[in-house]
Amino acid sequence: MTGVAQAGPQPGAAGQPPGEGTGKSHRAIPGQPDIWVLVLFEALVFTAYFAVYLVHRSAHSELFLRSQAELSPWLGTLDTLLMLTSSLFMLLCVQASRAGAFRAAITHVCITALLGTAFLASKITEWALLAHDGYGFTSNEFFTYYFFLTGIHFLHLLIGFITIGVIIYQLRRRERRSQELVETCAVYWHTVDLLWVLIFSLLYVVR
Amino acid sequence: MRRTDGELILFWTLPVLAFIWVSAFLLFPAFIHPMSPSMTAAQVADFYRDPAHLSRIRYSMILFNWFGVGLIPMLMLLVMQVRRMAHRTPILSYCLLGCTAGGPTVFLIADLFWLLAAFQPGRGPQLTLMFNDLAWMTFTAVVPFLIGQSLVIALAIYLDRPDRPVFRRWVAHFNVVVAAALVPAAFTGLALSGPMAWNGLLPFWVKNIAIGAWIVVMSVALGRNIYRQRAEDSDQRVAEEAAV
Amino acid sequence: MSETTAEPGTPPGAPAGSRLSRTAWHWRNNPKRELWFAWYTTVVFYNIFFIVFFPVTHAQPPPHPWWSDAQVAYWFNHNHDGLIIGFAIIFAVAAMTAPQNALIAYSMRRMSVSRAFGYSYLVMYSLSAVPGMLLLCVVLSVGAMRPGRDPAQLHWLYDFAFLSFTGTMGIFLLGSLVWMLAILLDKNRVMPKWFGYLNLCNALTEVVVAPAWIFHRGVLDWNGLISWWINVAVFGIYTGAFITLLRTMILREDFGDGPLPDLKKNHQAKASTLAGTPR
Repeated sequence: MTGVAQAGPQPGAAGQPPGEGTGKSHRAIPGQPDIWVLVLFEALVFTAYFAVYLVHRSAHSELFLRSQAELSPWLGTLDTLLMLTSSLFMLLCVQASRAGAFRAAITHVCITALLGTAFLASKITEWALLAHDGYGFTSNEFFTYYFFLTGIHFLHLLIGFITIGVIIYQLRRRERRSQELVETCAVYWHTVDLLWVLIFSLLYVVR
Repeated sequence: MRRTDGELILFWTLPVLAFIWVSAFLLFPAFIHPMSPSMTAAQVADFYRDPAHLSRIRYSMILFNWFGVGLIPMLMLLVMQVRRMAHRTPILSYCLLGCTAGGPTVFLIADLFWLLAAFQPGRGPQLTLMFNDLAWMTFTAVVPFLIGQSLVIALAIYLDRPDRPVFRRWVAHFNVVVAAALVPAAFTGLALSGPMAWNGLLPFWVKNIAIGAWIVVMSVALGRNIYRQRAEDSDQRVAEEAAV
Repeated sequence: MSETTAEPGTPPGAPAGSRLSRTAWHWRNNPKRELWFAWYTTVVFYNIFFIVFFPVTHAQPPPHPWWSDAQVAYWFNHNHDGLIIGFAIIFAVAAMTAPQNALIAYSMRRMSVSRAFGYSYLVMYSLSAVPGMLLLCVVLSVGAMRPGRDPAQLHWLYDFAFLSFTGTMGIFLLGSLVWMLAILLDKNRVMPKWFGYLNLCNALTEVVVAPAWIFHRGVLDWNGLISWWINVAVFGIYTGAFITLLRTMILREDFGDGPLPDLKKNHQAKASTLAGTPR
């Protein structure tokens, strides 16, 4: 049940302290193995949401097509670029942390946070523009899905900021840093990024 | 000299509370001769519109609203008694804590429904009937927390060490009997007249007498414990000071 | 019970024999009997809950929010007996939720985190049964008890019942987050970290159900594909997980303050020494 050999946030005791000796984790899986349960579970749940969306879309394809035309592909693409870039910087952060370059790691994760914030701003702008055009949560079936999926993703992203906070906290500690925890949070951020790519494909691209 | 910790004050709010509750109970015109569920909407509406009743309904329910949660301090003192028992874990006191949250809340909701019914007696009779039904059903049938309370106390006593128990065993037996007496009230929805209706023998008289008896008996047992424990504590302190 | 399968903290000398005599011995002597009482009560309650809410009352899966007054009235009349009897059973046994909350609060007490977590959870969830379950029971019973009631009124009661049941979100949202935080911060390994994350998934179902207050039809209404079916699947997995994990926790419990030992190590310890005596 607790097949986890590590005790989670017990920094130092569990994984290698970052930046020492080997500089590379001896674990096969990055981060706590437990986070992958969350990733898998969320992936399953979102797959279910996407399946429901696709089924309803095929039933009302004309309505969905018309409504999709109201979305701005530019904003959608911008959002995707922001997310992908933020994931890149998150990756750089993890690598820097492994190599012991903590100040660089903190810089990278701060850029991640900035890009994430830009994403949030872009999303809110898009929602405001749609609302201005008269499209809301209850306007029609497509927009119900649109606001639901982007809304729940937005929430996941907000949680992502908490994980960034955890990363910064871990990086700034002198002793008992946990590389494992940094990697765990990074995995979460990448998951949120992946979810966005899927949502973007479904809502903006698939026509 | 023991520092004043307020426990005795909390304890002695009980008789005051009992007086207020009994007064409110007698004041509410639908308790002394409990309202029957088989009354028609017109009869129920008339009951609420009757000027002799309306003020009594409102004021008694306002009183109950103020003092409905007044039993909580006594219940917390009981939780502390359970905590003293020779159990391996505090889990039974947690169970009791959980149960005590429910009882007064449910009573408050019933109280709200009665007050709502009385607020605009000129409403259509069907609406007044509905609020009245909601109030009576909530008050009568939603007994699980009271049952749970009694059963948890009984279990806690049974699991306590037998040589120096916090409460004597008859208290446990008494609690089991009270819990059993409350169970029929849960099934009051089945009947609109007769001994199982919410004005009938089991859901009204047996239930409320059982609750009243429980409050009295548990208060006395609790009071005895508190005084005995305080005496033992001060004896111990005196002995320690003498030894120094 | 043979020594190799007894738990830490069990006094030596547990008898072999019939299941009944062993159970009776454990009830009298096992220091974990309070915990097992709470655990078995939880399991029994969920079974009763499922039987009452699904086949007996047909309150779950919920009927449609977009029905007309006449359809709602028909539903009440059709389910009259099931509704009244089923909910009467709930009125009698609903206090069985208390030991469950107590056991979960206890799990947090065993953790290395502040006691405030356990107390917060206990208080939040003790409140939860009233708006989150009992209101539905009362309101649907009242609806069913007078078959001649005005259908428009029945519809109001119907909305009240199902919205209060599905739509009581905050307790489960924040309560799950409290447990999640406790688990993630815990150094005593009481619960595995993946279950901490599962609490987050459960908390998110309470966000996903919020549109039930807005929609009358579609996948986000109170019996919609997303708001009900997927949510209940998540909740079901979550509940199954914590019932199993609580059982494991009780088996591992050593009444100490430090990290909980793993089950495997217990078997080794048991084989070599007598179990520790209860304090």
